[in-house]
Formats: sequence, C-alpha cells, structure tokens
Amino acid sequence: MKPPPNFRPAAPAARALRAPLRLAAALALAAAAAGAAAAELPIFDAHVHYSHDAWANLPPKDAIALLRQAGIKRAVVSSSGDDGTQRLVAEAPELVIPSLRPYRNRGEIGTWVRDDTVAAFLEERLKNSRYAAIGEFHLYGADADLPVPRRMIALARQYKLVLHAHSDVDAIERIYRQDPQARVLWAHSGFDAPDKVREMLRKHRNLWCDLAFRNEHGANGRIPAEWKALFTEFPDRFMVGTDTFTPERWHYIGPHATWSRAWLADLPAPVAEKIAWRNGEALFGFWKPPVETH
Amino acid sequence: MKRWKRIGTTVAVAAVLVTAAAVAAQAAGDAPRHVEFTPAEVAAILALGPPPAPPRDPTNRVSGQPAAIAFGARLFSSLSLSSTGTVSCATCHDPARAFADGEAQAHGEGPGERNTPTLLGVAGQRWFGWDGAQDNLWAQSLRPLLDKTEMGGSLSHVARRVRDDPALRASYEAAFGRAPPSRDEVVAVDVGKALAAYVETLPFPRSTFDDFRDAMARGDRAAMARYPLLAQRGLAIFVGSGNCTMCHGGPRLSHGEFHDVGVPFFVAPGRVDPGRHGGIEKLTASRYNLLGEFNDDPTRATAMSTRHVAAAHRNFGEFRVPSLRNVARTAPYMHDGSLPTLRAVVRHYSNLDENRLHADGERILRPLGLDKYDVDALVAFLESLSPPLPPSR
Repeated sequence: MKPPPNFRPAAPAARALRAPLRLAAALALAAAAAGAAAAELPIFDAHVHYSHDAWANLPPKDAIALLRQAGIKRAVVSSSGDDGTQRLVAEAPELVIPSLRPYRNRGEIGTWVRDDTVAAFLEERLKNSRYAAIGEFHLYGADADLPVPRRMIALARQYKLVLHAHSDVDAIERIYRQDPQARVLWAHSGFDAPDKVREMLRKHRNLWCDLAFRNEHGANGRIPAEWKALFTEFPDRFMVGTDTFTPERWHYIGPHATWSRAWLADLPAPVAEKIAWRNGEALFGFWKPPVETH
Repeated sequence: MKRWKRIGTTVAVAAVLVTAAAVAAQAAGDAPRHVEFTPAEVAAILALGPPPAPPRDPTNRVSGQPAAIAFGARLFSSLSLSSTGTVSCATCHDPARAFADGEAQAHGEGPGERNTPTLLGVAGQRWFGWDGAQDNLWAQSLRPLLDKTEMGGSLSHVARRVRDDPALRASYEAAFGRAPPSRDEVVAVDVGKALAAYVETLPFPRSTFDDFRDAMARGDRAAMARYPLLAQRGLAIFVGSGNCTMCHGGPRLSHGEFHDVGVPFFVAPGRVDPGRHGGIEKLTASRYNLLGEFNDDPTRATAMSTRHVAAAHRNFGEFRVPSLRNVARTAPYMHDGSLPTLRAVVRHYSNLDENRLHADGERILRPLGLDKYDVDALVAFLESLSPPLPPSR
C-alpha cells in the first residue's frame, strides 16, 4: 500500500513506543474477545420440560425464542404428554433433542411404575416418533425392578436411547444390573453429595450427571473445593440443566444460563466448555434432527 | 435452653390442668365443649401465642421515639409525598381495612401486580415485602415512595417536600433534632425511618383464638369452652394432620421465610413475578439494606441474615409466608390476591396441585384432601385469628 502524501516516518522513540502499544492493544482486544466469549458461552441445557400446562402460557415459538435468547445451543426436552416435546421439535428441530417421558400427564410421576398401560404408551410412541432419550422419569429403589420400569429399560436398549433418571443410588444400580451397557443421565446428580457422585462415576463409565436444581456447586460464582475436584476428575461427565417443571420456569432459563456461566468461569476454560455444552453434544452426538419438511 | 425448659414446663402444666379439668367435667356429666388435645398438640397451640409485642428496632435510631412516631403518622397520610399528590401510604394501607385495601392487587399511581399486605404486626419481621427485597422496615417504608406504580416519587421529591412544607419540616426537626440536611438521600431515608417508627406501633389485634390459647395455658376450662367447637376442630387440623404450623407456626403464625405453594406466578403473557429470587437480587443490590451506611446499628449484628443470603433456583416463584393473624380481615389472599376467600385458600391446600411443585423442592407440601366438614373447621379456626366483629346494629 502506498503511504499518504503527508506521511512521515515515525521517530525512533515513537517507533519504540508503538510496539508495546500495539501489544497492549492486541492484548486488550484478546481479553475483550475472551470476555465476550465467556459471556456468550453456549449452553447445552440437559433438563427442560414442556408439559401440557405450558402451551397456553408459552406457545412453541415463544418457548424457542426464550431458549435462543438465553444462548442455549441445544436442549434435551421432555414433556408430560409427549405432545409438547413434539411441538418444540417441529418448531426448532436443530435446537430440541426429544426425550420421551413415561407420563401422559404430570400426575403420573408417582404411579407410572405400577401402571401397565405405560409400557404400551412408550412402545407406541417409540414406533411412531424418534427420540434421543427416555425420561426424565422418577424411579427409586426396588421400584426399578418392577415390570414397567424393566420394560422401559429394555426399550431404551432396543432403541439405543439414553435414560434420564431422577433416581436414588439404589435405582441407578438396579438399572445397570438390568443393562450394564445402559447410558444413564442422572438427573440432579441424584441430589447426592460429591463423594457419592464420585463413587458412582468411578463405578459406572456410562453414567453422566446433570446439575439441575442444585446450587451448592456454584453459589455466588464460586465452586467449593470438593465440587471442583469432582469436575476436574470427571470433566466429561457433567452437564447443566434448568428443570422447567412449571411453565413459569421457562422464564428462568435465561437467568439460569447466566448463573451457570458465572460458576463455570471458576473452572479452566476447557473444563467449563465441556460442562457447558461439549459433554451434552458428545453424549447426544448420535442424535440427527429430523429433516424439515416445511 | 432455659427458654425451652420454661416452655416445656408450661406445656406440662397446661396439659395437666386441661386434662384434670376435662376429667372433672366428664365426672360431672357435662357435654364436652372442647376437643381433647394431646400434649403435643397443646404444646403446638401454646407456641402460637401470645401475640408478639412490637419490638424496638436497633437499626432505626428513632424507633420508639414519640416525635418520630408522630412525624411518621403525619407522613403516612400525606398525599404530597407522591409525585402526583394523589396517593399516600394510607391509600393502599387503609386503617379502616386493617391497613390493607381489600383489592386483589394494589393500585397507587399505576396498577400493581401484588396484593397489599396488612401493616398490623409487621414490625419485627426478618424480611419485608412478598419477595423479601428489604431486610428492614424503614427501607420497606421508603420503597413505595420511590416506586413508579405506587407513589412515583424520588429521593429529591421526598426531600424537597420535607424541606418546603413548614409542618413536615417542623416535624422532621422534632423527630431528628436537626434541620433536614442538604443530602436528599439522607432526608428520604429519615422519612422511611419515621414512617417505620409509626408503623411499628400498629400491633396485631388480639383475637378470639388468643383468648382460647391463654385459657388453655391457665387450664381455664370455662374460658376455653367459649371458643367455638368448630374452630377447635380446625385448630386440631392446623397443628395436627394439616401440619400448617410447619410454616405458619410461632406467635406470628408465620416463620417469615419463603415458599412456592403452587400459586401460578405469571403476571401477564410472557412475564412472570420471580418472587424471592428477584427479591434477593434487589436486597443485595440495595443501598438501604442492613449492610449499608444507613443502618443505625453500629455493630451490624442485625445484618447477619443479609450477609449470608444467596439466591437459589428454588427461590424463583417463592413468596413470603404471611402471618395469619387477623387474616379474616385482609382478603383477598396470596401474593397476587388471586384467592378471594379463606375457603378458597383452604381448598387450594386441600387440592394442592403437586405437579406444580418440584419433587425435591417443597417436600413438606401435600394435598390435605379435606372433606367439607374439615374445610368448614379450618375456615372457622382461621376466622378466629381475628378479633370478634362488633355486633351488627
């Protein structure tokens, strides 16, 4: 490039100053870029519900808009009455990863394990629609060995689906006894203490944990030592989730993502990225969105 | 520990007295006029009183001082503090309506989104407002002056009114022993403190239940028998199977903390009231919390709760558990005034939609599954938490 007519070479002293200034400017730009990247850390939300009572207050278009505003890269969505999930998949197939709950309405949370019609419901849905997971289901202790949960676990194996289990340790163990190859996403990390979570992760290679509806690992943007050690030992096994168990809580997806970014910033960037979104992408990497027909 | 020993002794004495009185009455062939409460129920009932006396507030240097109380009373009904000159504290906290307004949602200079709580007995709470966005009564008293939907004022507007109105200025000087200083914020906070000094003087009214409770403490069977049997049965549910005292316990009939009780919290399509979650954000950001410069307690021991409060996911959509004292006079109910009657409230808890509650969040709440008689009984008990209405003429 030709210099402008009034161009004069800088004096040596000015040239000497210019190099550090350029470096400072470059560093400032890099820092700003890093800050922006941290602020915009994508989130894979592993725990979203869109049940029948959500539709009236939050139509699919608005729900998807909330996910996008929050910087949610992808979300594992399930609903009581599966129709909600299907509506969201239709609205944003690239964003929504569908999971099939064994509930036709939310009142079945406590009854489904002994309701034989649930197995038929799952079979019918699995024949007619594609899913990446079964869950979130509530399953505790010896109930995991009842016929209906057994059939559900068998269906997950047959269709190669992840099981999203809101369960205690006992039920998780029983799931693995039925299917040692099962891939289980442990909702809320069982609300268990870090030591117990560590024990389970060491024992089961196909166990992942979501951190939904828990605060103790990231209150005030600081990770306690026991949690930091756990995330460091198992950087590939955790993911975040909002748990929109009522329609109103869709409006918490944004604040929750912000809260998550704050505590994730207390981890080394590669670990933070994994927990924020890469682990979700890895576990559900097999999921191919349906081809849009409209 | 000593206090618990005293309570334990009182319960034991009361239980013995009540039982002895019941045995004596049955021996005399009287029809039972009261429910036979177990010792555990007697203990729970005695713990519901007596109504707490308004405490002095160590965070407010003019708390309890007559000149400040008089200034606060004047401010309370002053329209000039609002930006339009049309709204005072008493507009929503109407003394003739138990210092509430009887409306579902408040309406000051604009429409509000929450129910106006009564001010009777409000002093001594740990948190103030449905969302607990204030940790002291003077900040809570200042807040509506600055809220655009309530009184729409500003720090400078409030300070100017005090400086320019001779009567308010004289009252200020009497209360604070100095002329209003030049810093608007200081004058406005002092206004909040004078209002708080006045509001502290508004006690819980003594209720029919209090008479019963005190009679039980004395073992006075004749006085106990004047408490309606239906209310006694409601009380038995309240302290027993209903487990209502888990949140509505103690002399205030509230533990003063926050819960999601399954009431929807959309305020408009696409907008929610975040409740306690938003309240904690406001509290920690507030210049007027007890950690700030305006707390008159130099030790800051009063700021312990505020120092440690942190928002949790469960706080989203939680609202403060209100006192049930005088509740029959403060309809409608819940944070948004969505339930018009006590019967509707009891039915809400009877048919509670568990699906609105997180499986691991609100474990203490279960549908009460009350029959019509139980509903009547619980309503009768709740109505007894107010003073008896004067006989109609």
